[in-house]
Amino acid sequence: MKGKQIQSKDKHIHQLAAIVANTRSILYKKEDLLAYDCDGFTIHKHLPKAVVFPKNTKEVAELVRYCCQNELPFLARGAGTGLSGGAIPLNGEVIISLVKMKNLISVDLENRRAVVEPGFVNLKLTNSISDKGYYYAPDPSSQSCCTIGGNVAENAGGAHCLKYGVTTNHILGLEVVVPTGEIIEIGDNGIPDAPGYDLLGLITGSEGTLGIVTKITVRILKNPEAKQTVLAYFDDVTDGSQAVSAIISAGIIPAALEMMDKTAIEGVEAAAFPVGHPKNIAAVLLIEVDGISAGIEEQINQILSVCRQFNVRDVKVAQDEQERSRWWANRKTGFGAMGAISPDYLVQDGVIPRSKLPEVLERINQISEHSGLRIANIFHAGDGNLHPLILFDAKIPGETEKALEAGSACLQACAEVGGTITGEHGVGIEKREEMRFVFNEEEIAAQTTIRSVFNPVNLLNAGKLFPSPGKCVEIKMEKKAAIL
Amino acid sequence: MIIEGGGTKKGFGGLVEHADICLSLKDYKGIVEHNPGDMTITLKAGTSYLEVQNYLAGFNQMISLDPFANEHTSIGGVIAANDSGPKRLGYGSARDAVIGMRLVYPDGSLIRAGGKVVKNVAGYDMNKLFIGSMGTLAVISEITLKLRPVANYQSLVLISFPAGNLDVIKQFVVTVLDSLMEPITLELLSPTLAAKLTGRREYTAAIQFEDVESSVHYQTTYLENLKPEGGTFTILQQEDANLFWQAFYDLYPGLNAENKTKSAALKVGLKNMEVLELLEVTERLESGQIHLLAHGGLGHGISQVYLYGESDRILSAIQEIRKLTSAKGGYAIVKHLPFSERLKINIWDESPSYFFLLKQIKAKVDPNNILNEKRYVGGI
Repeated sequence: MKGKQIQSKDKHIHQLAAIVANTRSILYKKEDLLAYDCDGFTIHKHLPKAVVFPKNTKEVAELVRYCCQNELPFLARGAGTGLSGGAIPLNGEVIISLVKMKNLISVDLENRRAVVEPGFVNLKLTNSISDKGYYYAPDPSSQSCCTIGGNVAENAGGAHCLKYGVTTNHILGLEVVVPTGEIIEIGDNGIPDAPGYDLLGLITGSEGTLGIVTKITVRILKNPEAKQTVLAYFDDVTDGSQAVSAIISAGIIPAALEMMDKTAIEGVEAAAFPVGHPKNIAAVLLIEVDGISAGIEEQINQILSVCRQFNVRDVKVAQDEQERSRWWANRKTGFGAMGAISPDYLVQDGVIPRSKLPEVLERINQISEHSGLRIANIFHAGDGNLHPLILFDAKIPGETEKALEAGSACLQACAEVGGTITGEHGVGIEKREEMRFVFNEEEIAAQTTIRSVFNPVNLLNAGKLFPSPGKCVEIKMEKKAAIL
Repeated sequence: MIIEGGGTKKGFGGLVEHADICLSLKDYKGIVEHNPGDMTITLKAGTSYLEVQNYLAGFNQMISLDPFANEHTSIGGVIAANDSGPKRLGYGSARDAVIGMRLVYPDGSLIRAGGKVVKNVAGYDMNKLFIGSMGTLAVISEITLKLRPVANYQSLVLISFPAGNLDVIKQFVVTVLDSLMEPITLELLSPTLAAKLTGRREYTAAIQFEDVESSVHYQTTYLENLKPEGGTFTILQQEDANLFWQAFYDLYPGLNAENKTKSAALKVGLKNMEVLELLEVTERLESGQIHLLAHGGLGHGISQVYLYGESDRILSAIQEIRKLTSAKGGYAIVKHLPFSERLKINIWDESPSYFFLLKQIKAKVDPNNILNEKRYVGGI
């Protein structure tokens, strides 16, 4: 054992330290643990028992087995950028942090795949292969710091997922330590459709409740030959949303198709990257197409003609890369930009069928009026993923609760038009109760039954993803207590 | 209980010939909901796959799957068997297209998985469990799929390579894959299969492009300039490309009544470039006693091999092919084989190391083993 002595009377701390064979690979003092009491969802906090930093799969498996034998709750954590609280140690878990397992193991351009450790940062993969003209498609907005292991846990999305799919569409193989400590290899060699139930698909997006991923084989893609970006302004949200459907129906799947409403535009224009959007418009669309250079102009012309058909007020094509980057910076910093017009904001993550957009925006308007809080809408319009940003001031007593209620009401509105409660942020702790908007008891039981196959004693990341039967009231009170 | 759709996959797995009940979903058909603006469709499981594609063509939309189907093939069967063809290179497979399901569990309860929207991370991605599960976990009653627009234009390029040197093919394919072109298929046909479809008994690459017209022409021109010496280059445009693919899918032995007895089909998974080695093996096995047709996706690694001959010849050829797949860490699933022969071979190839989890999933979901007994991996 290297480094200084462990100063703890807890035998488990000593044992865990022995497994990772380095006293610097474990945190157990309160002041060190504070940084791990929550993730990107900061409303709920709890201290872990310890944080351990294994260096390889063998150590992860040993840690898991130790926790099992000693009935210690545990969970895995990557960069901690999750927005729904999936990595919060609700039960005083031992956190198995995977940030030291951050190697790019191999790149195989011929077979278009790369193998990474879970702590490898998303953007670093693209950076490692971009000189050869390749990239890794899933690009959540936290991609400069989030890990691919975390992306697998959350089935992360990103701006390109309209055309290229979310994380699950890019995972070819996983090495997983299951909660009993066995190491399994799914999709050996990254060959798709291996015989047997699709555990790759099941584990991806399971929010760290079915196992700990220790090695990931991902698909990599060739960069598109060309791309082009368009801004379109509409006086009427319905026109804008109909244009979205019509563009895709015209045979074009844009790489990205984003929408912002009036309040969101006010926010981004007041923030760091204004681009001069007109003040009195109802919606702006940011549309990007990519692909074969010879086809781009034809696609852009089609998009322009669709926009005109739906009464676009003004439409412009980015003249150069600089202009394109400015438009994207304006959009991508949209959440943070709300800080320019409101002290606090809460972001939600509903999904709706595209055609229901006008109806849902009207509902969100009513929710806003009812709560007395302004709500801005930033929308991955192409795939129906709506991010209502509820603007509030936490310093005003009761306003945080109102914001939470309004957020939940927005999700209910999404669910009621045939949508869902989360498109890319995950359920975690935040939306456990909202799961009832989309699934009944039996359907939730069908899912927890699957969990019990992998996680029979439920020591791994317990209390996440599912509402606890009969405990809803208790959780709501907990939530309230955490805010107060 | 045996579950059946259009009956075109009766030769796919299944070691039990009799059951108390055959639950046929043949008449459980129709569109539950089609939202053209949302580009999603919900179908009853027994709906004819080809009928629904024809219907969607009227909206310039499609289900982006290209299974080996005829007029009897049901969408439920396509999804339960996770069938896919060459176009999965461009469009993905069932796991990329299915966004929701309605299932009847073995205890009779109705369970929804996923939803009706294209992006959804609420709860476990339960859809994945049932895709390809051969009806061993639940009866798929409805399926919701995301649709794609039909591209404005399509062309199929057929490039045949002069006999012998696989390195030339590999070099060509690597160049295409490393280029900026965006092929929807990059399927290599064995000489025997090419002979049936094009009349030339040579390794032939079938490369499809679907996009706006200018982009398609640009890409076919690129390929023309890349064409290897001594090779032939043919472009089939629009409807001609469709006719080629129709003939291609029709060759699948499970669909062809006259072949039903002395034929077999394999789905083989390998790494992309290993497809070349597979086709070399099938070419070598071809003899007076056994006839093999094969094709494989050099961009996705999934191949199909059709075998015709006396059953002992077929079985020994499968063993030969499995020598290759097992050495490479791939697999060869027997997709089609008459019942009497299925008992003599492991249909699903080696069970994975994590089979204990699969077995427990089956035991938890279907504890009384009611659905499609012994239809799946490792006797599940």
